[in-house]
Amino acid sequence: MAYVATRGGARAIDQAERLYRAELGQIDASRVDAVRRALPMLIDRVMGEASLYEPDLAALALAQAGGDLYEAVLLLRAWRTTQPRLAIAEPVRQEQLITHRRISAAFKDIPGGQILGPTLDYAHRLLATDVLQGRPFTPAPVTPAATAAPAYQPSLAAWQKAQGLVADPLRADVAPDAIPDLTREPLLFPAKRAHTLQSLARADTGGMLTLGYAAMRGYGNAHPTVNELRLAEAEVRVTHPRGTVFSAGRVKVSQAEVTSKGKSGQLSLGFCATLGWNEVKVISGATLDLNAAAAPKGSPVEEEFFLYHTEPVEASGFCIHFKLPHYVTFQSSLDALRGAKASAAPQSEQVPS
Amino acid sequence: MFDQAKTDDPPIDHGRLLDVLARADVARLMALAETLLPLLGAVEVVQSRTGLVMLPMRDTVQGTDFHLGEVLVAEAHLRAMGGEGYGMIVGRDLEHAMAMAVVDAAIACLGQTPTISAFLQSQVAAQAAADTARLQAIEATRVDMETF
Repeated sequence: MAYVATRGGARAIDQAERLYRAELGQIDASRVDAVRRALPMLIDRVMGEASLYEPDLAALALAQAGGDLYEAVLLLRAWRTTQPRLAIAEPVRQEQLITHRRISAAFKDIPGGQILGPTLDYAHRLLATDVLQGRPFTPAPVTPAATAAPAYQPSLAAWQKAQGLVADPLRADVAPDAIPDLTREPLLFPAKRAHTLQSLARADTGGMLTLGYAAMRGYGNAHPTVNELRLAEAEVRVTHPRGTVFSAGRVKVSQAEVTSKGKSGQLSLGFCATLGWNEVKVISGATLDLNAAAAPKGSPVEEEFFLYHTEPVEASGFCIHFKLPHYVTFQSSLDALRGAKASAAPQSEQVPS
Repeated sequence: MFDQAKTDDPPIDHGRLLDVLARADVARLMALAETLLPLLGAVEVVQSRTGLVMLPMRDTVQGTDFHLGEVLVAEAHLRAMGGEGYGMIVGRDLEHAMAMAVVDAAIACLGQTPTISAFLQSQVAAQAAADTARLQAIEATRVDMETF
């Protein structure tokens, strides 16, 4: 592909940006605050795809981008690069998650029980049009139980491994600074599992749903059932200069395991997790992880296919770059077309009627 | 300013008190730090900045540790009276991190004085109450599935 520098249009470019921003109007702290309070699911989605947990900045990015998710993710990822990395926290472990929601579609009676948590799964989807008539929608308050749920719930996968239902591969401890990191090294194939899971964690929700849904509909090799889905908070455990490990605070995380009957007589599991609460993303991602083994080249569940094509900044950037001047490449195509036409035309000159 | 600690309240270990300070009510923490600063004499601020903490997670299927994403934090590090104080909190509130570091330094140099202890105990209680309220709401959503 050939590119060429172009000149001109500075005034038009300036005015075009002004026209875009005029549609959004003034952005102030109150608007950002309103976005953050009103749209927590969208904030979570943007933070997950940006791979940066900071709800205020995610709300600002959304406000500044006028709700364009790809622009918001790009803004956040770009801003992230201005910040130094201060530390690597201790790995989050499932049994240490402060669990708000935990369900299984595969096993009715899971150790610790099923907790629906905050969900619309069983709600009627009715648009509250009264709001537009001036009658606010006020949600009914939760009637709290007399006892508190346990903050921590056992791992279903660990129980399944203990029962011999799923494989329990040996694992080796890895020092935190030796964990592979896609933000500092390229994604190569076959991908390290740590790269795969990090890439899924920061992938585009819509893209993952598309490819995951393709697998669910039959374009994969394993049909998923949700083994366990969790919405939780994770402690960010860092180290004090004197060596004390402590929690600097909590962040919302989602994780899903999906399962299907494997060929070895055991259940196979796929896994995905992300920052923020985003169920569609982690179920889709876990489905892709489940299907990746032995996937045919070029299929939507092949690792290279789904990891490359669900990277939101690269994918959206590549898509929209086609709007930018391609005059040299296109001129070259036109020249080739004209050349082919000229060589195919009769030697005698024809005058159009 | 704060309720006096009961004399039989045991000191809170360093890790736990840092947990509590990182999650403390910011206005009350800053008020406590203001009262402690004069006791620390000259304070050298080593660091006051925002930055990133990479958060790894352990995959439940193969046990692989991977990077889930980065968390913006505010960090403060100071030295006073031959000791040091450190604060790190999720978010970008540098004043919260600095107040945490001041209290941490005061504890390192002066111990858990009755004022500090009272603050910690009140925050432990408030944070536990908030957690309990949330977990009671969560418990209300527990479901027993029956198949027919």
